[in-house]
Amino acid sequence: MYLTNEEERIYDGEYGWTNQICMKILVRLGELFAATKLIPINSAHVSGISYKTLGDAPIEFLEALSATGGKVSARATLNPQGLDTEYLGKKLDEKIRRKQLNILKQFEKMGFAQSLTCTPYYIEEPSQGSHLAWAESSAVVYANSVLEAWTNREGGPSALAAAIIGKTPDYGIHKAVNRQPKASVTLEAQPQNEIEFGAIGAFLGKVLEDKIPVICGLKGSSKEDLKQLGAALASTGMANMFYLHSASMRLDKPEKITIENNDIKSSVENLSTSAKSEPELVFIGCPHCSMNEIKNVACTIGGRKVKGGKELWICTSRFVKEKARNYVGEIEQSGAHLITDTCAVVTWTEKLGIRTIMTNSAKTAYYAPTLNKAETVLAPLKECLNTALEG
Amino acid sequence: METLTLKGRRIVEGCCRAEAIVSTKPISFLGGVDPADGRIIEKNHDLCGECIKGKVLCFPYGHGSTVGSYVLYSLSKNHLSPKAIINQTADPVVVVGAIIANIPMIDQIDLRQIKTGDTIEVDAYDGVVKVLKRKER
Repeated sequence: MYLTNEEERIYDGEYGWTNQICMKILVRLGELFAATKLIPINSAHVSGISYKTLGDAPIEFLEALSATGGKVSARATLNPQGLDTEYLGKKLDEKIRRKQLNILKQFEKMGFAQSLTCTPYYIEEPSQGSHLAWAESSAVVYANSVLEAWTNREGGPSALAAAIIGKTPDYGIHKAVNRQPKASVTLEAQPQNEIEFGAIGAFLGKVLEDKIPVICGLKGSSKEDLKQLGAALASTGMANMFYLHSASMRLDKPEKITIENNDIKSSVENLSTSAKSEPELVFIGCPHCSMNEIKNVACTIGGRKVKGGKELWICTSRFVKEKARNYVGEIEQSGAHLITDTCAVVTWTEKLGIRTIMTNSAKTAYYAPTLNKAETVLAPLKECLNTALEG
Repeated sequence: METLTLKGRRIVEGCCRAEAIVSTKPISFLGGVDPADGRIIEKNHDLCGECIKGKVLCFPYGHGSTVGSYVLYSLSKNHLSPKAIINQTADPVVVVGAIIANIPMIDQIDLRQIKTGDTIEVDAYDGVVKVLKRKER
């Protein structure tokens, strides 16, 4: 791998241990994937922030990085943490709060923005063709497919290293040749709602492995529906992007995949582990809600109240909550919680006595049985809200 | 006995001589290894219950969450890390873990040539593994 003089000096330790270890991570990963150089990135997004998913293992490493003066040299954002200070922070015990706060403090010292969201693109949209080093698979697919920025699916540590150095090894889908679609997907019928978009993603993830698909017939879909499709695609498989079919597209002997109505139906069914209509928690906001989704939730609530004994969580970023402030009152008056900085998947729902989660997110439905030890019910927004609300 | 020399690819530099512990299964460090005592805790793993401290840990490749890299760092801080790692195919989780924990690492080695209990010498500057003493079988 070719390194510039300055990169060599960082690698040799002239700029301190933090820079050296981060450079080593990037160079060795680059060698592993036959990259020939490092390329500058416009932003990095780091996953693995919640103490629930991290545990104690990384704390010492993060402390060592920040103590030796590590600083980000690109715009760098953080995934959700395990709690918010207003609601869940008050329900969870002191030790958890302390640990989480310490993790966040280390990132803050290094100059990471306290975005605490899986949708950093709502805060600042990366420009078309810009190179990124993003972890958080749903954001990776969204960036590559909907925003046409270029990023591999980074892990937490490699995105961290890229944030510090401001560069990433040039391999994978940073190269145009690796962004060629290999499969052509035809749908028997249009998806009817967000959970069918999610179900299509979950189905495709399994059959495609890491092949990039072109999906026919979804031009004009909302960005939110494509967000659901991409999040589920990344959950069940290794494909990091998709294309929507357009007339100018030429494909070289693609694998042909047809998704029949039954495939969507059984994909939806497989994502629900329970038929229980009385979940303790109804959760909207995986990935974190957009401004439009918040507005839609407020309108659908329409003055109704959350039923006794039920929790309704709407999760988003601080940034979107501030932007959607006109709807916050309406949502909170219903008894629902508009929660920022975290989500149901990365917080301790088990400790809160939640056994069944109803959601409109295929990604949550896929992960909650293992990460939350919860039963899941996948249903569209309207049905989710009707379950949570009176009348 | 004769010394068997295997040539692989250097991933993280370093040298050591220690006893091998060999698995035919991939290892997920997050959830699969206890950072507090260095034991493999993944159920149904062929090394379940074994301690990897001070050994040359040989396994085909890593899998699972990228948080696993940090587990290797924790192990080394707790003085429970393996002395070296030998893989068939290096993967990002283990590579990053070995770098931050400073554990010598080599890949592209035919692991069928190494048995648990063999004494082996690892030269991860040159990517060479020498099997010095075979375990009595």
